[in-house]
This record gives sequence, structure tokens and C-alpha cells, in this order.
Amino acid sequence: MPETMSDTTPTRGYTDDQKYQIFNKEFMPHIDSMYNFAFRLTMDEDDANDLVQDTYLKAFRFISSFEQGTNAKAWLFRILKNSFINDYRKKSKEPAKVDYQDVETTYNSEDSETEHTVDLRAETVSDLIGDEVATALNSLPVDFRTVIILCDIEGFTYEEMAKILDIPIGTVRSRLHRARNLLKEKLRDYAASMGYNENIDD
Amino acid sequence: MQTSLPKSPSEVPRSMKHTCEHQSDCLKFIQMVLDGAATEKDLDQLQRNLESCQPCIEMYHLEKEVKALLQNRMEKRCCPEQLIESIRTRIATFS
Repeated sequence: MPETMSDTTPTRGYTDDQKYQIFNKEFMPHIDSMYNFAFRLTMDEDDANDLVQDTYLKAFRFISSFEQGTNAKAWLFRILKNSFINDYRKKSKEPAKVDYQDVETTYNSEDSETEHTVDLRAETVSDLIGDEVATALNSLPVDFRTVIILCDIEGFTYEEMAKILDIPIGTVRSRLHRARNLLKEKLRDYAASMGYNENIDD
Repeated sequence: MQTSLPKSPSEVPRSMKHTCEHQSDCLKFIQMVLDGAATEKDLDQLQRNLESCQPCIEMYHLEKEVKALLQNRMEKRCCPEQLIESIRTRIATFS
């Protein structure tokens, strides 16, 4: 898997002991986050299991391209994201297969001047429960879902996200902006369908 | 940063701006601030907007609420023990 940051990182000659130490102390602590990321991408427990296992085995095999003490979580997330794209995306259970480029083009052309803001109130959103938020998030195309997971759930910075996703920071920002507009539309529709009142105030 | 913010849009004085001609730019700006990617200067600017622009206040509250929902209300799973064991076993047979 030569794409794993080996382009920027020189190979390190770790001893076997050092390898296991890095693996246990720097990689394993992120396994719950990795599992949640895998599950949210694949939306399937078995696929999430396989994806996490593949990622950790790759991480060990290519451990010499990891510089000890640097951002292990971002490094691991990048491997997982690449594995997902290469191995799982084709068979993942996407509700509607939407090509990201299509979505981005549509949004760019429609809203280049008057980008819309979604008519939704904080009070309406605060009534929603986790499952409802998850349903809305899961209904987004995977590239949009991914930036929201990385930023809002995992707390990565724009710079870290740019590295994990191999895209420029400007693209991170605009993709996140569009993803959030889509998510708010879903939340608004959901709240409306559940009869949460939009205009409860006097 | 949010010390002097009005608690909710309904507490806002009437002298406020009720429409905003660059709402979409303001929204991007608000998201940067909430994502922790803003400079001191950006924060000052946001503070001014939040004292004078009703749409900014509403957007700020909404963005903050949505982010909080994602951070706090989504189910967080633990990686299955079996998977951890399986990874450890396979790693141990390497090299």
C-alpha cells in the first residue's frame, strides 16, 4: 500500500520490539474511533470489522513509514479511508449511489451566487435524538458524510482532514459547508415530517 | 468567546439588522469559528456581527446546535473485543 504517506515520510528502521511498542501505544488506543469511523462509512458491522482489521494489519506492515510521535490517529484514519475507497466502496450498502463530483457540480452551478441557507431553527434541532441525527447523516453521499464525521464527530482540524482525504484545505472547507447544508435540509425535512413545530414562538 | 452573546434570538433588541446580504459568507465564517479555525481578528468580527445582525445570531445558534448534536448524541460503539483479539493474534505472527 505505497500510498500511505510514504511519499513524504522516509522509511524508518524500527526493531521488532519498537514496532510492537508503537503499535500498542500509538495505534491501538484509537481502535474505538477507527471502529466507529468504519461503521459509519460502511453502515454494516461485518464490513466495519473487516475494514478495521485490514487497516490495522496494513498499519503494522507499513509501520516503517510512520514517524513515531507524530499524529497516529490521522495516519490511521487515512489508511482506513483509502482501504474503504479501494476495497469496500463498491460493495457498500449506499442507499442512493450519488457520485460526489455530480453533487458538487450541481451545487456549484445552482448556487454560485446565491448560496442558500437552510431555513431551520436551533430550537427545532435540539429536540432531535441521536438516532434521528444518525439517519440524516447516513442519508448523505459518503464524501459529504465523511467530512462531517471527521470534523464534527472526531474533531480533526481542516489541515488534518486535508491530509486524510488528500484534498486541499479550501476543498475541505467548501465540502464541509455543502455537507452541512445538506444535513440541515435532511434535519429540517425530518423535523417537519415528525410534526416538530417550526414556529412555536408567540 | 460566547460570554456576551444573547441567549436566544427572542432576547435581541430591536435595533438589530434583520436581513443580511452576505449571509452565505457569514455562514462560512461562523463554521470556521465553531471549527476552531478562526484567528483572533475573525473572533472579533464575529462578536461584532453577533451584536448587530439577527441572521448571524440565528445561524450561529443553529450551527452550534447541529455540531453539538453530532458530538454528543450520536451513538459511540466500542470496538468488539473479538476483533481486538484477532488483530493482536495476527500481528503477533508477523515478522
